[in-house]
Amino acid sequence: MRTLFNCKECVDLLMDYLEGNLDPEIQKKLDQHFAACPPCVKFLDSYRACSEMAQQLKDQQVRIPLELENRLKAFLKEEIKKV
Amino acid sequence: MVIFSLRQMRAKELGQQQIIEGLKSHDSEIVDDFVQQFSRPLFGIILNYTKNPSDAEEILQDTLLRVIRKIDTFRQESDLWPWMKRIAINNSIMWLRKNRSIRQREVHLEDFTPQFSEDGHLEHPIFSWPVDPEDIILNTELASQLYEAIQSLPFEYRTPLVLRDIEGYPVKQIASLLGLKEATAKTRVHRARLFLREKLIKYFEGQA
Ligand SMILES: [Zn+2]
Repeated sequence: MRTLFNCKECVDLLMDYLEGNLDPEIQKKLDQHFAACPPCVKFLDSYRACSEMAQQLKDQQVRIPLELENRLKAFLKEEIKKV
Repeated sequence: MVIFSLRQMRAKELGQQQIIEGLKSHDSEIVDDFVQQFSRPLFGIILNYTKNPSDAEEILQDTLLRVIRKIDTFRQESDLWPWMKRIAINNSIMWLRKNRSIRQREVHLEDFTPQFSEDGHLEHPIFSWPVDPEDIILNTELASQLYEAIQSLPFEYRTPLVLRDIEGYPVKQIASLLGLKEATAKTRVHRARLFLREKLIKYFEGQA
């Protein structure tokens, strides 16, 4: 088995790498590759940024139209009468 | 201080017990409060799965109704919100599954994956990410670009991505929610991220 990983092999494992799920041996191989490959580091940064941006969407405020809220109230009160 | 707390009381957030009892006894005033208190956060969750407002409204309505119908099965000692949230997510997933073929124009994820040379090296130049992830909170255009990119993912990829990155579920739970093997769920999240990354790079490049 080759001792060094290439970029593709590292990119394929990024998710586990970031979550710390890799075998320590494998983790080390990725670290070694990143230490010598600036493009991969940039790639890693952008991959992580993307995931973190999505995480931020969780707290996005949504507005709910009053008209919809009223419609839902009316609908549900009608439904509970049916039972 | 006093005025503030009085006002808070008037805006009354119902306690869990009150809601449960009220819904069980079909108290229509409680139903109103229930809608007022929970429809907005539930809508926020549902919109992560479908951006189409009329679809999202339909899912929301069905979710609220399900909560009321299933309230008898709710275990008192657990928290109501995660339980409702799960119903909303399940509903969204079911709905997407049912409707995906009708409206999903298939995107080819391969068109949005990083390019490697034959020996597995990243093709240069690699793009430098121009923003902090937190910037998205204030940058509504960026947020809507990301939303759109997520929406354009095929169902099979969008749902795992939303569950992992937006909802923060562990891969194991995503796999069981979607009836997938863990490895498959993981691969899909990864591919979806690669897709979003490429999509956003195209957007950033267009901006430059
Ligand atoms: Zn590399």
